[in-house]
Amino acid sequence: MSRRHELRTLLRGALRPPDNDSAFLLDVHRRAVPQERMARYDDSYPVDLVIVGAGAGGGTLAQRLARRGWKVVVLESGPFWDPDEDWVSDEAGSHRLYWTDERITGGSDPVELGKNNSGHGVGGSMVHYAGYCPRFHPSDFEVRSRDGVGEDWPIRYWDLKPHYERLELELPVAGDYWPWGDPHRYPHTPHPIAGGADAARGGAKKLGIEMRVGPVGITNGSFGNRPHCIYRGYCLQGCKVNAKASPLVTHIPDAIEHGAEIRAHCMVTEVVLDDASGQVTGVRYVSDGRERFQRADAVAVAGYSIETPRLLLNSTSRRFPHGLANNNDQVGRCVMVQGAPQVAGRFPDEMRMYKAPPPEICSEQFYETDERRGFARGFSIQTVGPLPIEHAQHVLGHGHWGQALREYMRDYNHWYTLGILSELLPLPENRVTIAHDVTDENGIPVARMDYSQSENDRKNIAYGKQTLHDIFDAAGAQDVLVTDRYAHLVGGCRMGSDPERSVVDSDHRAWEVPNLFVADGSVMPTQGSANPALTIMALVSRLAERLALKRAGESSAQRRHLPRRRSRPALTGADAG
Amino acid sequence: MAARDFRNAEHLPNLRPDQQPASPEELPRQRNGVTPQMHGRYPDYNVLDESEHWDEITRRLVFERVESTPPIRFFTDAEARTLGMFCDLVMAQDREPKIAVLNMVDAKLFEGQLDGFRYADMPEDRETWRRLALGLDAAARQHGAGDFAGAATDVQMRVVDALAKGELRGEVWDEMPPAKTWKVVSRAILSAFYSHPWAWSEIGFGGPAYPRGYARLGAGQRENWEGAPAFETDPVKDTEQRGVQGT
Repeated sequence: MSRRHELRTLLRGALRPPDNDSAFLLDVHRRAVPQERMARYDDSYPVDLVIVGAGAGGGTLAQRLARRGWKVVVLESGPFWDPDEDWVSDEAGSHRLYWTDERITGGSDPVELGKNNSGHGVGGSMVHYAGYCPRFHPSDFEVRSRDGVGEDWPIRYWDLKPHYERLELELPVAGDYWPWGDPHRYPHTPHPIAGGADAARGGAKKLGIEMRVGPVGITNGSFGNRPHCIYRGYCLQGCKVNAKASPLVTHIPDAIEHGAEIRAHCMVTEVVLDDASGQVTGVRYVSDGRERFQRADAVAVAGYSIETPRLLLNSTSRRFPHGLANNNDQVGRCVMVQGAPQVAGRFPDEMRMYKAPPPEICSEQFYETDERRGFARGFSIQTVGPLPIEHAQHVLGHGHWGQALREYMRDYNHWYTLGILSELLPLPENRVTIAHDVTDENGIPVARMDYSQSENDRKNIAYGKQTLHDIFDAAGAQDVLVTDRYAHLVGGCRMGSDPERSVVDSDHRAWEVPNLFVADGSVMPTQGSANPALTIMALVSRLAERLALKRAGESSAQRRHLPRRRSRPALTGADAG
Repeated sequence: MAARDFRNAEHLPNLRPDQQPASPEELPRQRNGVTPQMHGRYPDYNVLDESEHWDEITRRLVFERVESTPPIRFFTDAEARTLGMFCDLVMAQDREPKIAVLNMVDAKLFEGQLDGFRYADMPEDRETWRRLALGLDAAARQHGAGDFAGAATDVQMRVVDALAKGELRGEVWDEMPPAKTWKVVSRAILSAFYSHPWAWSEIGFGGPAYPRGYARLGAGQRENWEGAPAFETDPVKDTEQRGVQGT
């Protein structure tokens, strides 16, 4: 072990990220993000960049570029959450955290949306993700070359690695030493695990499967003004403690401090193109029932894998009659979900799986292709920790209702749950389109998502399910319950090196529109078996670096004659120069 | 009443020959607070006793579920009769006290609350529930009954079972796939039932824990305020150990 590493281990949580003060900008006594000093821009002021969506992608991009002096406005369709007032320790009461507007889901294996994978409000889906923050493996970026399936990325793991390291410090991520993929350590020590996770880990060990604690974006020990996790178990309902990482607490405060405006309750309905120049000029959006237009030098769409394609497809013009940047019919294609069946096991002891964060332990031993398994690519194993409503759906998914369902639910405290994340492959016919006959409250046609599995996908899911079953058998579980589901969303506007087969280039720039960027998970050509949040942030962190190299300082000098922004935030001493 | 050892799993349906549980009447009656039908797996545990430790916003939300039952505003009387019976069967609520599941579903539909997706071959959620009412009656008639609510219990059970297995056919069910209908309506029913603190007490769930949190995470451990299951203490051994003399 190097001396430098010894020192880092000793300091752990005391280390603060060098270029992100978010955790220190939060208030000690309340959870809401301080907004008193936030800049306000006029719609007519052509900001350097308007970002659509304040989730993992949009939040991180705003922070990075605001730090570089860019004038940034983020338009977010949902609210600017106040965890104290808006969030509850309650499953059914957390409905507002999800994208609940109508969407159509089709195909032979339709995907449940809403609560399962779609966020709303500042912080995006990371407000209600479990908290797992694994990196992708180096193999994920070249699955076509290695395994003959999916698609190669136009970038490599090593392009993202410095951004992974930086973000793991910013969130921060807690976990054991990680032996899989590109082996690495985490800045925070692993959290304690509950009895159920311990039993599952023991069962896995008997089968030669190694499970490790983490990696989770949950502070272990206080971090700035973010307190320690209290193990209340409601990670998926929004963290009232501010211990779990989401852009709301990890990047938005620093973005605001550096002059970004986060404009909530603004639903963007169209990215506007100047047909003459072929460049975008800003976005049309609805706020308080009134239609407005924000001018911008460039537009970054960060609405995630369904709303990003929907916005582009709904933004038609003479140049792009079938949707912005879609003359090659690629927008919306290759949208992906991960196969995420769950298996619950019953133990003699009470496990009370509602305690401790749902993400506890994880194995990536089955992540890479193993030809003996009979399919390409693999899956990871993770803990789930469902609360009563979620567990009831699990029991019903196994086929029990009535008295049998009630009996299983009265037994809730004896159960523990594992899930897999199967890497399902990108297929062009799995796509987001527009349901022209169904419109939202603004009269904009809603999205339709069609999803069907391939033969490889089915084999992968079946193998993973059997593995979980075996782990519980080895752990001494007395009964098991199995249910099928999906998790996460990526793809839909993928990056590539061929304009015929992708929407954006390796710098997230639309092939067909030079000042339009996609800055969210929809750019991913494949998804690995890792939860996507950290990789979305890392991609965008890299994008910000690429943009800053090209554009830093250029725009403000050019437009001294233009209208001023309405107010200026007070700058701290550190930024004034 | 036979004492059970819940370290064993013999009471669980998967492990029983007919896949059905033993009668819940073998459990004690709930002694503290209310559970649905007063089944007492944790007979002395009432999650509402802990509410002073919850944050104000959560407390208000949870107590509203206990203190005010929303009236039926979305369904017609006839629909409410059919669907009320249906919800009672799905949740095995065969007597009072009952959690008013249909009223909670009705409120959600009346307010137009959506879940964020609709299957391509399904109508919107409100229409799904109305057609379900028609479809249950149609299926009951196939068994010779006049309608679903008035049918014999075994006919009702067969109809619900066929819906859960996606096996209903004819009339409504030729246009609306039963398996997806079951997914849509069961999602709403489970969400209503297990959002209610009476159900939390029944299953021994610790409930909201902010700002207090949980500290005892290990197997077989519980916080000092969490409820003990029925039959955990053998009264004979207990009195001996504590030196308590019976009279």
